[in-house]
Amino acid sequence: MDDTHTFYTPTVYVIDDDDAVRDSIGMLLNSVSLNTELFAAPDAFIQAFQPAELVNLQGCILLDIRMPGMSGLECQKWLLTHQCHLPIVFITGHGDVPMAVQAMKDGAVEFLQKPFHEQTLIDSIHNALQIDQQRCIHYEQQARVNERVAQLTPREQEVLKRVVAGNSNKVIAGELNLSQRTIEIHRAAVMGKMDVSSVAELVTLMTMLEVT
Amino acid sequence: MSLSVAPNQKSVMTPQANQDAKAKLTALLDAAVDGIIIIDHLGHIELFNSAAETLFGYASDEVIGQNINKLMPQPYREQHDGYLRNYASTLQAKIIGIGREVKARKKNGDIFPIDLSVGDVKNASHKQFVGIIRDITDKVQARNDAIEQRERLAHVTRLSTMGEMAAGIAHEVNQPLTAVSAYAQSCINLLRQSNDQDSQLYQTLTITLDKINQQAIRASDVIQRLRGFMQKGTSHREAVTVSKLIYDTLSMAQIDTRLLEHGVTLDIPPDVGEQLVHVDAVQVQQVLLNLLRNGVDAMEQHTESPLQVKACWHDSQYIEVSVIDSGTGIKPQDVAQLFTPFFTTKSSGMGMGLSISQSIVLSHQGRLWYEPGLSTGSVFSFTLPAYIAEHGNPL
Repeated sequence: MDDTHTFYTPTVYVIDDDDAVRDSIGMLLNSVSLNTELFAAPDAFIQAFQPAELVNLQGCILLDIRMPGMSGLECQKWLLTHQCHLPIVFITGHGDVPMAVQAMKDGAVEFLQKPFHEQTLIDSIHNALQIDQQRCIHYEQQARVNERVAQLTPREQEVLKRVVAGNSNKVIAGELNLSQRTIEIHRAAVMGKMDVSSVAELVTLMTMLEVT
Repeated sequence: MSLSVAPNQKSVMTPQANQDAKAKLTALLDAAVDGIIIIDHLGHIELFNSAAETLFGYASDEVIGQNINKLMPQPYREQHDGYLRNYASTLQAKIIGIGREVKARKKNGDIFPIDLSVGDVKNASHKQFVGIIRDITDKVQARNDAIEQRERLAHVTRLSTMGEMAAGIAHEVNQPLTAVSAYAQSCINLLRQSNDQDSQLYQTLTITLDKINQQAIRASDVIQRLRGFMQKGTSHREAVTVSKLIYDTLSMAQIDTRLLEHGVTLDIPPDVGEQLVHVDAVQVQQVLLNLLRNGVDAMEQHTESPLQVKACWHDSQYIEVSVIDSGTGIKPQDVAQLFTPFFTTKSSGMGMGLSISQSIVLSHQGRLWYEPGLSTGSVFSFTLPAYIAEHGNPL
């Protein structure tokens, strides 16, 4: 698959209840050419998107830990249960060790204490975006593989499964109660529709679906 | 014990009756638990019972005829003769009939606190005073311990209040500092993208913005250090039973007499009361004391209702302690801010109590929370991990 590079347009979603902090961070990130969207509370962020949109967002979240209403940690949990896998960089006014531990356990990329050096923030954001880009590329690839698999007939999917499992045409013919010749035709169709030239390539493609 | 009772010339007694009276007196004096000493008007010791011998470490032979001030430490020793002269001239003794707490001196030089009551011997051939002496070392020790414990608690309270205030201030001040520093850095970044980087203005602006940035960071460092310094207060963890924690706190809480008016009902099942918890007892007492005081404050208008303290198991690994009042309760709009530093519903409150209590409970791996009472009032509960000695402690 050589046509995998999708256009990656990340946004940094800044969620902080302090107006000045939110505004200044937005300005700082814009000054290094990062797109931002600013939210005063987790609720505002959640309500700004349809559930389906949340899943497909690209970028990362800069999330304050202590906010009235839903806290940063609660927001992190909510997003995870709603299939939003944007990497999260936490910022906090308190150097709260137990909170940091919990946040990192739940997959946060970084935990920054206010006030932070700008470069540290920008580095953490770039780190988070890199993780997100990998994730997006991977999703994209999975989507493409799934698209191709969907084009296969049910019979061809049966054959695909067995080819990837390493079975010979003879074995597959026996299992599906078809002639070897028919299997050869199906196999050729699978390779064509999946756009691969070798079984090895096909296996590589299919294992991509297993990893999230 | 030797008695030197002056012959009573007014009474007429047969030698036999006199003998009997003397024997009875001796028995009486020897049986007394308190030290009993009789002196004459010049302070010379005439009688020294066996309890006094034990108390002071002198045999009565050693002190009979000696000045009573031998048994007194400075400055009483100097002053006592003066007291006696004063009484002789005015016939007014300040001490007679009232007990008072003074210091006494043993033979070995030890000074100890005593309760002293003095009476004058009526109808005697000459002026005599009787002193009854009770050793109150234990009582004074217990009282001093209580004072010391209260002072220690007050000290810890002050320290953690300061620590929490520093933390609260740090949080509030760090927000604008973060903004200052981010704004400054944004400007530097934007300037760098401009075309006239060689101009004098560009140089001056970037350098100045960088200085703004540095100063913001310096200010936050100062706050950070202050906070670190406040939090350094050492914590002494020890294994104590739940009931000791609660009873010790209640005895301290009674300084607030309003608590006595309300009364406290306790609900501590024996298996919970005997359970050990591994805590900084002073800190946890501070939490409980704070909740008790809040409860009493909330019941200002409900003087007839008692405060309830309840302890039970929570999830088999934690002990849960609840303080239940039937007071005014918490307004729904205030609930979210209850544990926020500097938030208070009391006119004279600082708004640090619950915030500090929560920090303390959190540092013990517990949780502190609020629930509305069943009909009125509030329930504040906290958990502490039960300490199981055999398994060691994860802390």
